Amino acid sequence: MAFQKKNTKKRFFQRRKVCRFCADSTLEINYKDAKALRPFITERGKIIPRRITGTCAKHQRKLAVAIKQARTIAFLPYVGKLS
Amino acid sequence: MRRYETIFIADPDLQEDARKNLFDKYKNLLVQEKGILIDFDDWGNRKLAYPIKKKARGHYVCVTYGGTGVLVTELERNFRLDDKVMKFMTVLLEKDVTANALEAEIAAAAQLKEVKEATPAATDEAADEVTEAAEADTPEETKAPETETAEAAQEEN
Repeated sequence: MAFQKKNTKKRFFQRRKVCRFCADSTLEINYKDAKALRPFITERGKIIPRRITGTCAKHQRKLAVAIKQARTIAFLPYVGKLS
Repeated sequence: MRRYETIFIADPDLQEDARKNLFDKYKNLLVQEKGILIDFDDWGNRKLAYPIKKKARGHYVCVTYGGTGVLVTELERNFRLDDKVMKFMTVLLEKDVTANALEAEIAAAAQLKEVKEATPAATDEAADEVTEAAEADTPEETKAPETETAEAAQEEN
């Protein structure tokens, strides 16, 4: 019983993160779709590292490029709001 | 020939005819420099993520075209000289395309547009079907979590 309880707890806290773009191949990374990029930047406008979002290396590279392009053409902010 | 996409932000405070002149100028320039215009997409006024030239809004235009590097440098040189263009960005979409393939694509796109305009009722029906299908799907989804929780309860026991 005790063993099982511990097991469930562990599963809850260390849930394996899956790359969103690998799981769903219909999702595309495009700099023109600012709404889709929003979950991958902080409120301050920084790119969130992949150890937090769980994105795979291949897609994180594409994501980073897309976010930077979106910033260039003012779809996303370089610096977010302070508040 | 390469396929490029240029997004530029025009001044949002321009008059309608002045804006049309501006767009025509770049369309002509494209043709002059032996480029093939594939799509000229006017997105209209949009809010900017940060102010450019002390303006909070901008008129976005997305141009897709086929051409060479010479065309891009010429286009960007003109954007830089023009006060009515606040910002621009060019992205390479495809490295190697033939002019014939691009023209075929333009013709196909025009045909698709015609078909859509000719039968607006048909597209409406299709949309209805899609929503119906979505409604049919939802009950199954709500059922799924229940079975999962039941399994979890069994595991705990």
